[in-house]
Amino acid sequence: MAFGGYPPPHHILADLGLDAEVDSDTSARVRTRVTPFVTGADGGVRAGVLATLVDVVGGAVGVRALRPDWMATADLTIQVVRPARGPFVEARGRVLRRGRTTLVIEAGVFEVDGDGSDVTCGAAVPAPAAWATMTFAILSGGRPTRTSGAAAELADRWSFTGAGLDAPVVDVLGISVTDAGNGVVSLPVREYLFNSIGAVQGGVMALLGEVAGEVALGAVDGSDDAVVVTDLQVAYLSLGRVGPIVSRTKVLGSGAGPGAVRRGTRRSAVVELLDDGADGRLTTVVNVVGTTVAAVPPDAVPAGSAS
Amino acid sequence: MSARDPGDRAPAAPTGPGPSDPIDPRHHVSEYFRLQRWEIPPADGAERMSEFGGRTPVEDHQCGAGGGLLTGGLLTSVDSLGGMAAGLAVLPRWIVTTSMMATIGRVSHQGPLRLHGRVLRRGRNSVVVGLDVVDEGDHDVPVAAVTMTCAVLDPVGMDLHFDRPLVVDMPPPSPNARTPEEFFCIEPGGGPVTRLRLDDHLRNPWGILHGGAVAVLADVAARRAVVAHRSAGGGDRPAADPARLAAADTILHYLRPVKVGPVEARCDVLGGGPTRTLVRVAIHDVGADDRLVELAMVAVLAV
Repeated sequence: MAFGGYPPPHHILADLGLDAEVDSDTSARVRTRVTPFVTGADGGVRAGVLATLVDVVGGAVGVRALRPDWMATADLTIQVVRPARGPFVEARGRVLRRGRTTLVIEAGVFEVDGDGSDVTCGAAVPAPAAWATMTFAILSGGRPTRTSGAAAELADRWSFTGAGLDAPVVDVLGISVTDAGNGVVSLPVREYLFNSIGAVQGGVMALLGEVAGEVALGAVDGSDDAVVVTDLQVAYLSLGRVGPIVSRTKVLGSGAGPGAVRRGTRRSAVVELLDDGADGRLTTVVNVVGTTVAAVPPDAVPAGSAS
Repeated sequence: MSARDPGDRAPAAPTGPGPSDPIDPRHHVSEYFRLQRWEIPPADGAERMSEFGGRTPVEDHQCGAGGGLLTGGLLTSVDSLGGMAAGLAVLPRWIVTTSMMATIGRVSHQGPLRLHGRVLRRGRNSVVVGLDVVDEGDHDVPVAAVTMTCAVLDPVGMDLHFDRPLVVDMPPPSPNARTPEEFFCIEPGGGPVTRLRLDDHLRNPWGILHGGAVAVLADVAARRAVVAHRSAGGGDRPAADPARLAAADTILHYLRPVKVGPVEARCDVLGGGPTRTLVRVAIHDVGADDRLVELAMVAVLAV
């Protein structure tokens, strides 16, 4: 299903295969299958993919809570508690506050089975794999988008279904590393990764920030261990429409230098994403936290999660 | 990355006690952390917005387990400086902080810490400010980065006259070295709930609880919750030593103004690993129908 033609069949959201269920006017859940194409070095789903998931659940909640008004993501945070390995991951979002100009939503991310039941690992209550918050700016009176015509009649359940990913999501998006040591990466802009108003989707921007931070932190560490990003703090300042979107990165607290880093060391970086084709306009700022881990071989990901 | 020109336009740190003027009642909270502030007008006289510099000392009674300024204290100074940058960018209107996203690179500091803030986006209803913090005492190593968002409001009855470029000297050291818990009226104790008494000196110019007080409360409450969680056998890990826990990366959403008090921080320990525990802190204004007023997410580190 798509809303007013969005997303088109060949689109990152469709290829992630998202199933949504709206619980009420203030809560919803969105689920995706965990495959090796969306996981990081520790076998858990990449923080940027989780950000995409929670951005969609936030949108699902917000479009109902705000109708007939429309919205745009202003900021998004996600903090990973433990690797989310599936077999599915589900983001459950709810409204915290609706104000005159903003809507604040929080979302927990949980591991679930194919039927939607929680993976509890013997615990009495399901523990979240990640936690997220979002702020949406309210666009009063709505905005002419490809989805706005669908806002009046909203389904309680829907799915975005495409061909599925056939390669790691970073490669599918076309993200390339230009200068790992300085955290410079590049993303070509194309319709495949647009949001409903023709700019790069917010979750994709978060993922681009994740990759830039990951390579910069890895270069500082200088070890054979991999870096896994645990936290993303994303501020959306302007739309990325032209491209390519390029990054510049600064690593914090980097006084220790190569060779002084132990496994499990936590580091932070600030990534700025600029629209190179729009006079280098600053579009997004992403604060990134990463940890060094021993990489999990791809074949160690649970068999049930393979696509 | 934005230029962070250390020193060349930054006033030198005072070497002794500063002026003994009475404390401006609007600045109690920032004065507790002795925040020095200075405006950096655009060099070329263009219509770009001013940037702002700040400096705060690292004093023993305000330090956390890592040996650096308590993260809640650092965020208090960030809120004060960022709020000034945002407010002056929207005059004659003014601002109130609505969210803060902070990543902390280090919880150990030599000090003093130097802050730099610049407006990233100025819209009709909101302003976004980016702030960097470096450790002047340790070769300007970057120790934190914060993005804060402010809502733009009409300042009914507020005096908004400022001499520009704005300079606020570093307040003198206090003869009473009160701890952050004492200054911010945080009740002693432990467990998943921590309470703050809303005294007048904790109110900001809008008359509501200062955003920095919320940051300090979230910091203290999250650490206490981790200690209680571990003591109860949570997380399958040994009991945590309170003296070895430090709050680091913090998300703050200021949802509604805190007007009445007392204020209660109710924590859920979401989980984590041996060195990092994530805590959700829901802050309620007990005297205002117990409504949810702030939400914080705090990463607590074992250092």
